[in-house]
Amino acid sequence: MKILTDTGLLFKRKMLETLRNPIFIIISMSTPIVYLVLFAPLLNKLVGVQGFNSGHVLNVFIPGLLVIVAFLSGLFVGFTMIDEVKNGVLERMRVTPTSRFALLAGRVLRDLVNMTVVVVFFALIAIPFGFHLNFFGFLVFLPLLGMMLITTSSFGNALGVILGDEDKLAPVVQGVNLPVILLSGMLLPMELAPVWLQVIAHFNPAYYCVVAGRLLAIGHIYQPKVLYAYLFMVPLTVITVAWATRTFRRAIS
Amino acid sequence: MPAEPVVLTEELKKHFPSKAGTVKAVDGVNLDVQPGEIFGFLGPNGAGKTTTLRMLTTLIPPDSGKALVAGFDVAREPDKVRLNIGYVGQNGGSDRPAKGRENLILQGRLYGMSTADARQRADELIRLLDLTEFADRIVHTYSGGQRRRLDVAIGLVNRPKVLFLDEPTTGLDPQNRVNLWTQINKLQSEGATIFLTTHYLDEADALSDRLAIMDHGKIVAEGTPEELKREVAHDCVTIGVSDWKESVPKLVETLGERDFVLDVTQEEERLKLCVRDFAAALPQLMRLLDERGVKLESVELSKTNLDDVFLKKTGYSLRDLTPEG
Repeated sequence: MKILTDTGLLFKRKMLETLRNPIFIIISMSTPIVYLVLFAPLLNKLVGVQGFNSGHVLNVFIPGLLVIVAFLSGLFVGFTMIDEVKNGVLERMRVTPTSRFALLAGRVLRDLVNMTVVVVFFALIAIPFGFHLNFFGFLVFLPLLGMMLITTSSFGNALGVILGDEDKLAPVVQGVNLPVILLSGMLLPMELAPVWLQVIAHFNPAYYCVVAGRLLAIGHIYQPKVLYAYLFMVPLTVITVAWATRTFRRAIS
Repeated sequence: MPAEPVVLTEELKKHFPSKAGTVKAVDGVNLDVQPGEIFGFLGPNGAGKTTTLRMLTTLIPPDSGKALVAGFDVAREPDKVRLNIGYVGQNGGSDRPAKGRENLILQGRLYGMSTADARQRADELIRLLDLTEFADRIVHTYSGGQRRRLDVAIGLVNRPKVLFLDEPTTGLDPQNRVNLWTQINKLQSEGATIFLTTHYLDEADALSDRLAIMDHGKIVAEGTPEELKREVAHDCVTIGVSDWKESVPKLVETLGERDFVLDVTQEEERLKLCVRDFAAALPQLMRLLDERGVKLESVELSKTNLDDVFLKKTGYSLRDLTPEG
């Protein structure tokens, strides 16, 4: 299957890039650590407050943080995409019979691997700090994180191809970044928010993942809110990937 | 050369919407490229060269008209076209964080070669384009000329029936330009067919067996560089004379009426005269100057170059648009 071979080849190419320059993984690992050390202690006094009643404060905080790691690992990939557009790499490959889907998928898969490494590393180092991790719950949580990454990485790459210019990409990406994070309930649970904010949050994929992640971390797998997260993320992922592939097919870069 | 053309277009068109109305980027282009030749596509920036190239390389679909590349229709069989062409875009195409050799092997694999074949082909191209010295370094560290040679090698991986080069020497220093010209000629001698765009007159002149001049989306002239020059050209002479303010305008007027003169223009304080046959015209010119009592102060013979062709066909000089050319 050409589509699989090509995806494999292009994944290897991007993975090799990461391995040669592991600094990016190290940087993405440092962000959650900064949150854990400089922000999580602020939450300690909130135990018992609405939304924090599930035991250790890290059980509320870490799942949200993992969602944000997944979200951010994909959102900013457009900048490297723009580099490749400007250097003619995408154009060169589009003149070969390479599968258009593979052009996208190779990159997204690399991001997925990077994210998984960071997320697992991070869940593990949070355990000594008091994070209670339910193994099976985490296994159900991982695909949600994966879909979040696939969505943002596809979106980021397609945006890079469409805009083709860092100065145009930066405001768009930042414009998506902040509201999604604030309305995900990652920093503080959305239960604390006024109703109108809670309503808006229901349009935010990160919100569903954060809510499901908090349940899954303590092993509550068969919960409607976990199902809702899947019901939201599966179609969103499919639609975004389809749209991004189309962009790669049509790009006039 | 009655062989089947490698590139053949009929009334190829591409229009883009813009704020000021439709831009006819490519407006009915007809051309044919024969196997084994270097075909030059000359025109200023914005003439529609790159848009034409993008259609021929399946990057964008034509609005109307027809284009056959390597015998396949670009609109209907883009996959077959892709298998049979090589393309080096204006920005190159080599992947900067990877090694040169890796770029070549990946390209081969994307064309469906086995790893062994792709490796072997990479070795061949590294030799052919003299990349040995730096093939195993990361492309980031390459000089502009080295990277350009790698770009060309990448375009050749699938042994294309025609190699498209879009402005191959833009941004290269003079030494690297000449070096690349040598490489391009070498490729041709090994049987490659090359379609290149350029806005450099000397490049089109030095490399192309045949060329087309494009302006405002249309082809305004086509032929071998010699044919094109012969068509416009004639022997021209630029003379400087004494008392030019008075004598040059008068001479322009008188000479304009003579049979042997094709064209006469005043170039600031000098006079440029183009004639069909210089040997026959010279005595008549001297006699006229004598009669008028005008003293000759300088004489400069000029050979026709492609800019004269360009000027004649488009009404403006390419040199004015591209100072570096």
